[in-house]
Amino acid sequence: MSLLHATWLPVVPAGSFAKGKAPTAGLLIWADTWRVADPVGPVLEAPLHPLSLDLDTLATWLDDNTFWSEDLRQASATLTLPSRQQGVRGQKSEATDGWSGMPLQAGEPLPKDLSWWPWQVEGWFLKPGPAADWLNLLPLSGYAEAGLGDDLHWWSHVQRWCLSLIARGRWLPDAAGGKASWLPLLNREDDRRRLEELALRMPQVVAAASADRHLACGRPRSNRLLVASIVEKLVDGQLRAAFAPGGQGLDPLLAAWDEALGDPGGRLALDEEDQERLAIASHHWRETVAGKVAPARACLELFTPPEGEELWELRFGLQAEADPSLRVPAGMVWAAGDGDLALGEIQVEQPGALLLEGLGRALLAFEPIERGLDTATPEAMQLTPAEAFVLVRTAASRLRDVGVGVILPASLSGGLASRLGLAITAELPEKSRGFTLGETLEWRWEFMIGGVTLNLRDLEKLSAKRSPLVQHKGAWIELRPLDLKNAEKFCAAEPPFSLDDALRITGNEGETLQRLPVHAFTAGPRLQAVLEQYHQQKAPDPLPAPPGFAGQLRPYQERGLGWLAFLHRFDQGACLADDMGLGKTIQLLAFLQHLKAEEELKRPVLLVAPTSVLTNWKREAAAFTPDLVVNEHYGPRRPSSPDALKKALKGVDLVLTSYGLMQRDSEILDTLDWQGVVIDEAQAIKNHNAKQSMAARDLGRPGKGPRFRIALTGTPVENRVSELWALMDFLNPKVLGDEPFFRQRYRLPIERYGDMSSLRDLKGRVGPFILRRLKTDKSIITDLPEKVELSEWVGLAPEQRKLYNKTVEDSLDAIARAPLGQKHGQVLALLTRLKQICNHPALALKQDPDPNDAGFFKDFAARSAKVQRLEEILEEVMEAGDRALLFTQFAEWGHLLKAHLEHRWRQEVPFLYGNTSKTERQAMVDRFQEDPRGPQLFLLSLKAGGVGLNLTRASHVFHIDRWWNPAVENQATDRAYRIGQQNRVMVHKFITSGSVEERIDRMIKEKSKLAADIVGSGEEWLGGLDIGQLKDLVTLSED
Amino acid sequence: MTITPGNHNGITTQLGDQGLGQQPWWVEQWMELINGYRFKKRLERAWAYAREGNVLSIRFEGRRVHARVQGSGEDPYKVKLWLDVLSDDDWGYVLEALGQKARWSAQLLAGVMPQDIERAFAASGRRLFPFKLQEVRSECTCPDKINPCKHVSAVYYLMGERFSEDPFVLFQLRGRTRAQLLSDLAVQRRALLAKKASEAKAARKADGDGAPLPSAADGLHNPTPVAIRDPNRWWRYDAALDPGLVVITPAMEGDTGLDEAGPLPLAEDGRFPEAPRQFVEHLRSQGAGFSTAAMATAMAAGSNQEQPNDSNG
Repeated sequence: MSLLHATWLPVVPAGSFAKGKAPTAGLLIWADTWRVADPVGPVLEAPLHPLSLDLDTLATWLDDNTFWSEDLRQASATLTLPSRQQGVRGQKSEATDGWSGMPLQAGEPLPKDLSWWPWQVEGWFLKPGPAADWLNLLPLSGYAEAGLGDDLHWWSHVQRWCLSLIARGRWLPDAAGGKASWLPLLNREDDRRRLEELALRMPQVVAAASADRHLACGRPRSNRLLVASIVEKLVDGQLRAAFAPGGQGLDPLLAAWDEALGDPGGRLALDEEDQERLAIASHHWRETVAGKVAPARACLELFTPPEGEELWELRFGLQAEADPSLRVPAGMVWAAGDGDLALGEIQVEQPGALLLEGLGRALLAFEPIERGLDTATPEAMQLTPAEAFVLVRTAASRLRDVGVGVILPASLSGGLASRLGLAITAELPEKSRGFTLGETLEWRWEFMIGGVTLNLRDLEKLSAKRSPLVQHKGAWIELRPLDLKNAEKFCAAEPPFSLDDALRITGNEGETLQRLPVHAFTAGPRLQAVLEQYHQQKAPDPLPAPPGFAGQLRPYQERGLGWLAFLHRFDQGACLADDMGLGKTIQLLAFLQHLKAEEELKRPVLLVAPTSVLTNWKREAAAFTPDLVVNEHYGPRRPSSPDALKKALKGVDLVLTSYGLMQRDSEILDTLDWQGVVIDEAQAIKNHNAKQSMAARDLGRPGKGPRFRIALTGTPVENRVSELWALMDFLNPKVLGDEPFFRQRYRLPIERYGDMSSLRDLKGRVGPFILRRLKTDKSIITDLPEKVELSEWVGLAPEQRKLYNKTVEDSLDAIARAPLGQKHGQVLALLTRLKQICNHPALALKQDPDPNDAGFFKDFAARSAKVQRLEEILEEVMEAGDRALLFTQFAEWGHLLKAHLEHRWRQEVPFLYGNTSKTERQAMVDRFQEDPRGPQLFLLSLKAGGVGLNLTRASHVFHIDRWWNPAVENQATDRAYRIGQQNRVMVHKFITSGSVEERIDRMIKEKSKLAADIVGSGEEWLGGLDIGQLKDLVTLSED
Repeated sequence: MTITPGNHNGITTQLGDQGLGQQPWWVEQWMELINGYRFKKRLERAWAYAREGNVLSIRFEGRRVHARVQGSGEDPYKVKLWLDVLSDDDWGYVLEALGQKARWSAQLLAGVMPQDIERAFAASGRRLFPFKLQEVRSECTCPDKINPCKHVSAVYYLMGERFSEDPFVLFQLRGRTRAQLLSDLAVQRRALLAKKASEAKAARKADGDGAPLPSAADGLHNPTPVAIRDPNRWWRYDAALDPGLVVITPAMEGDTGLDEAGPLPLAEDGRFPEAPRQFVEHLRSQGAGFSTAAMATAMAAGSNQEQPNDSNG
């Protein structure tokens, strides 16, 4: 897969436009891809980028992805890119005289020997105007999946900023140097910050063609000027194209300017003298609005009067644009004299002139400063209270708009904190346990402004002073006209304060009580404990494995159990979203056992899961919680009336059912008074309109008694905004409001515009109800072994089951009658066939579809429970961006599965087996290991792929079918689990329950004599089995 | 601008008989100077000349003003105007005086002509503005023996307006361009600062306080190193869209660049009354269109990716 990039070219590349046209800067669009390429040896000129896409392929790609534009022109440029030093194959390193190597690609691991090296890159070029139009085509998100480099994401943000500048009219026309142009005004506080952020975060590839070697080579240096010039060119290009000249009644001078502003070249048809006149006038016009782009700006810092005095002090200084907290006082600026001044890492040239210019600008916005500039090197001045008030109230924002920083005392610095608000102290009442939301708390409150507390009497006294800035308890605060009235209103209301209020106020910033912002909240120790646990600031106390639990819990699992129990006490639904392999099943079973041990489990709990994992649940429950009475609501013999169900579930603790049956039997299931409903693989209810989701939601509502709700999922639910609502609707319906509200408030802002503040707010709201730990979390890593082996129990689909039983029946008879010499062969054939059936009927029936037969592969998964389960797990692997090895012992199965997986994920799945040639093998391995955007899945035959290869990029290993000899499986596992592996390896072993696969698994585990024979002698021993033993081995057990 | 002789093709004045209106102080001062002239009749004729466009061109070339004025003859007369240039010594005094008040440098750097700039010139006993019209030297190729002739006087009028386009031409006429002046000021300021710095150092030494010079980093926290050194920044970008750019909004009332910049400081051509205002008006109306279009473009972005989840219920 290729990745698209965009690099800014400062000048037009040679030969791409007709001669005589003015050179212009613009955007070069190019792409690199992964392919096997030899390192490039030393050459005189910059070599062609060996991994770049050629022009035709790129054009086709652009066209296919609706990124083609008629304005694109062929071009090439020399880009300085990070490169790997690498000897040319076949040449001894001493023989090479000079540098040789390869350019690095995005996402590639960094080599030790890194150099920046020029590469010739071919691509398509756009002038600034068309470049802006093209950038408008870019999506708001989903870059990697669409084959778009992160640099394009950066470009889209730059262009969005340009649109904002244009929408806000932040531009002025210019006429410098005989050319008319449009200049964006970047002086506003917000725009300065945007320039700073985009410059700081600019991917280096954007500047790779820069004539400035420092920029091109990624040496530390500010990109501010580069980004400012890019924005200048993009805004100019857009406005120039949009502008319709034709102002009425213009004199020749202005008519020429008017004309040139809409002209692509912008040349002013005027003689030199008039050009000069226009240049001066336009410069003079703009100069008082916006200054130059510099790394620092003048700032004014206001200090409150010393005790007992009246006058405020205003100190002058410089402040870094990149980090406003980096400041130097004017005295230091003057002391720097002729030299540069360092603000942290930022070098400021001519700091004196910069400070003076800023002060000159400050004079325009805040006149009193004039008084302070009467000396040669002023450092500070004094302001009267009235002047200080004007500064705080109005002048500060004007000053910031002309590009002068203003720092006010904390209590006056604007924002919510300097407004009238509340300081609250609260505690749980003596007898409360703190688990009822509506519960009233014991509480005290005071008013608070600018960090100091005051009561109504204080406020009255201060208001009587009739001065906007007053001092209270040593701090200066600003009183607003309505403050006293609002305070009186609040006192009269005497509102109650509930646990709900406390949770709300501590959960989100800027929450209010009776319209007054809450500035400070102090909880008593008992309330604090509840709040901390609720907000996950402190994990709820871990719970050890309950009595009767047959197994051990890892420390993080004990924490998970504690968390489930904690939310249960609050009657809050919980979503346990731990990463795959961390043991969600075990934690849930431990939780149920905990209830049972506490004698709280009085009614049955319904667990809904995909059919493919029901077997797994049954197995795990039997293994870990033998005390729990488990019943399956599944199959044709399940109860079909409310009474039958009630009878069947007498004394049952846990009922397992599938999503399909939950929906089909919802009327019957609804009649039972469940103690709780658990949904596994909760992404199944992501679509809130689907019947399945509605059935789950209805089941989750309390019946006669309270009903707990738990959802289990391995996907990062908190990032899937559109699915969150349905999930929360099941767990805790009121948290996110109704669906239309949710869509307006959260979904649209976040999904369409990537609005971070809405996302933060949303996460804050759902955070308490979702627990997600990753394998990579520090606290988990210490708990988990390097290699985690997971048994994936699966059942059989109807077709499989029928085929399996029939095969066993037919074969046993035949084997019993077979002559001794043929018996061994027939037993072997039977076992092979049964294992194939466990994989998929199509394999056993030797179906050989065309890989492009879409109809065949559409139903493919439905025919095999194993494939269904495999898909579910792979879904999570792909989602996480992980890579996986899939081993099978059947080459035919490899081909079938390869075709199916490629249909399913629309990405290439290489398959390495006995017939793969040596060169192909190497290419597959290289690509899997090296290509940053290479395939995520790699199929291998156990025999051909089980030894010798190094595939450490995979962090999951799947053994789709079982081999008799665990050593062979382990050897295959070690392709990924070996030196060079940086992640934990998850090993998934599929076992079809009740089948021959389970017997094999048991034999291996029990290390029986039989197993020892097996390990010692391959499949030879099979011939020695008598019919009875063979029957035990292969017959499907129905438990 | 190509200039052809003729009564209706030259430069005219915006200064009508009504008077001066809202003019920057330096223009007012210039006009006062002219109006203080004794020969009122001649002034009136010059005024008419200026208004009718007889001044074909005015050019500031170095320290002189060159103008061409269409008189009664076929070829326009050439007019030269100049002021007494300040000597380097005098400029030295002026610079020293300018350095005394940070405000003067601050305003000059920010593009503002300080109102009390004359006080700096007074230090050297000189003036920026001529005190009397007689101090404005002039030459005209017309046969009129009286100086200033009406051609010269007509140019006087128009120069006032040129000062409003760029007040710093006054410095130019006195021998220093604005750029020169700023760089001279910088040199002088640096010398002054260097002296101050070394004095401060000496004072500290004398105090026996061997503390090193305060450095900018003292007492301030260091920011994390610039991210460019981080290999993650070579290709990667994972910043979220600035919340302020999520929804693209228009300017608040009166808050565009054009609003802020105010009237275009360009002298009007009498034949095209109000041309600068018209020019800005045209920009403003076009700008409103740009703004609407930009908002529509921003609104459309990403709409093609809206997930179809809504519909498949």
